[in-house]
Amino acid sequence: MSMLEVREVHKTLGGRPVLRGVNLRVEKGETLVIIGRSGCGKSVLLKHLIGLLRPDSGAIIVDGQDVAQVRGHDLGALRLKFGMLFQGAALFDSLNVFENVGFALLEHSRLDIVQIRERVSRALQSVDLENIQQMYPADLSGGMRKRVGLARAICNNPQIILYDEPTTGLDPIMSDMINDLIIRMHRQLGVTSIVVTHDMKSAYKVGTRIVMLYEGKIIAEGTPQEIEQTADPVVRQFITGAAQGPITANRNIE
Amino acid sequence: METVKRFFARARCFFEYFGSLSLLFLRTIGQMFVPPFKWRPLIQQMDTVGVNSSPIVFLTSFFAGVVLALQMAYTLKKMSAEIYIASLVSLSMCRELGPVFTALVVAARVGASITAEVGTMKVTEQIDALETLATNPVKYLVVPRFLALLVMLPLLTVYADAVGIIGGFIVSVYNLNIPVFLYIKKTFDVLAYKDVFTGLIKAMSFAAVISLVACHEGMNTRGGAEGVGRATTRSVVFSCMLIFAANAFLTALFYFIK
Ligand SMILES: Nc1ncnc2c1ncn2[C@@H]1O[C@H](COP(=O)(O)OP(=O)(O)O)[C@@H](O)[C@H]1O
Ligand SMILES: [Mg+2]
Repeated sequence: MSMLEVREVHKTLGGRPVLRGVNLRVEKGETLVIIGRSGCGKSVLLKHLIGLLRPDSGAIIVDGQDVAQVRGHDLGALRLKFGMLFQGAALFDSLNVFENVGFALLEHSRLDIVQIRERVSRALQSVDLENIQQMYPADLSGGMRKRVGLARAICNNPQIILYDEPTTGLDPIMSDMINDLIIRMHRQLGVTSIVVTHDMKSAYKVGTRIVMLYEGKIIAEGTPQEIEQTADPVVRQFITGAAQGPITANRNIE
Repeated sequence: METVKRFFARARCFFEYFGSLSLLFLRTIGQMFVPPFKWRPLIQQMDTVGVNSSPIVFLTSFFAGVVLALQMAYTLKKMSAEIYIASLVSLSMCRELGPVFTALVVAARVGASITAEVGTMKVTEQIDALETLATNPVKYLVVPRFLALLVMLPLLTVYADAVGIIGGFIVSVYNLNIPVFLYIKKTFDVLAYKDVFTGLIKAMSFAAVISLVACHEGMNTRGGAEGVGRATTRSVVFSCMLIFAANAFLTALFYFIK
C-alpha cells in the first residue's frame, strides 16, 4: 500500500478552478518532486495533503485514512505524522528558536523539559545549527530561518516531510546546502518526502521521482532522467525555461 | 431595482459577517473548555491588555471627568444647584462614559494590535503552521486574548470610573468651592451598587466585541502587508461601531428591566 494517495482531487478557490482532478501516489521512502509554474496550485496541493484545505471532491488517503474525513483529536494525530516546511519558513515571531523547534513537543507531549531540550538540540544539529536557541526569528538570515523551519518540521519524528519551495529566495550556495539537507533527511531518517519547487536544479538533485502539475492536473511523471529527456513539449518548455512554447502560446501570461 | 438589489447584497454581507463572528464566539467558548489549560499566555495577554493600557485610560477618563464637571457647573450654577455635580459626574461616569471611553481606547490600542499581530501571522502562514503542529488557532490565539480582555476591561473600567470621579472632584472642590465632605457624600449617596454593576456588564460585552472582531479580522486577513493594514483599520472601525450599538442596546435594556 502506498504511503499517500491523492484521488481525483478538485478544488476551486476564489471562483477559479485550481485543482482539476489531481491523481498521485507516493510510495514509502521516496522523494517525490512536484514541479510547476508559480501560481499553478502547488502550495494548494500541499495544503490538501496535510488537511489545511479540504477538497471540493475527491479524496486524500494517508496511511489508510481519508484526511478530509478526520476531525478533532484524530486530525491532530494525523497531522503530527507530517512535518511541513513552509515557503517563508512561517516561524512564530513571538517565540525563540528553542520554543519554535520544540513547539509540538512543548504543546502536546508528556516529555519533561530536559528531554525536550535534548530533542531540540538534536533536531538543530541535524540541520547544522548550534547555539542559536535563544535567538528570535527576526534576527536570523533567510537560510537560517529555513533550516530552523526544517528542524521544527522534523522535531516530532514525522513519517512524511512536505517542503514548499525550500530553495526559493536563497542564494545558490545556500540552496545547495538545503538540497543536501533534504537528501540527508531522506537517507538518515528514512522519511518519505514531497518537495514542491520550480527550481529544476534542485528537482533533479533531490528527487527520486518527478511529476509536473499543469492546469490543475498531473501531466507528466518519471524519474529525473526520464523527465530530463522528455519529448512532451509542455514539460520541455518548463524544464528548459524557454519563454516561447506551448505554455505561453495561446494564453496571456498569468 | 438596482438600489434594491444593492441593498439586499449589503444586508446579506452584514448578516454573513455576524454569522461568522458568532461562529467564532461559539468556537472560542468551546475551545475554552478543552484541556490543557495554560496560564502563562493568559497572564501575558492580561499584562499587555491591562497594565499597558492604564496610562492612556487614566488620561482619557480624567479629562472626561474634568470636562463633565465644568459643563454641568455652567448650567447648574444658574440654578444654584452646583452640589448636584457630584451625583451627575459619578452616575454618568459609572453608567456611560467610563465603560464606553475605556472600550474605545482599548479597541484602538489593543484591538488594533491584536489584528495586526494575528493578521501578520495569517499572511506569513504562521496560522497554517500552528495547525500543522496539531494546535488549534482558536484555542492558541483567540482564547487567551478573549479571556484577558474579559477580565481586564471591567477592571480598567472601574479604574476609569474612579479617575473620572476624581477629575470632577478636583474641578468642583478647587474651582467651584464645593465643600470636600459634601462632595464625597453626594458622590456615594446616589451611586447604587446597580450603577457600577451595569457598567461592568457593559464592559464585559465590549470586551467580547473587541477581542472577537480583532481576532476575526486578523484570521481573515489576505494580501500581504497591505492586507494587514486594511484589516487593522476595519477592526478598529467595526469594533467602535459595535461598541456604540451595544451600548445603546444595553442602556435601553437596563432602563426597561429596572
Ligand atoms: N485562499 C485562497 N483564496 C483564493 N485563491 C487562492 C487561495 N489560495 C490560493 N489561491 C489561488 O490559487 C492559485 C494557486 O496558488 P498557489 O498554490 O499558492 O500557487 P503556487 O503553485 O505558486 O504555490 C493562485 O492563483 C492563487 O491566487
Ligand atoms: Mg507556493
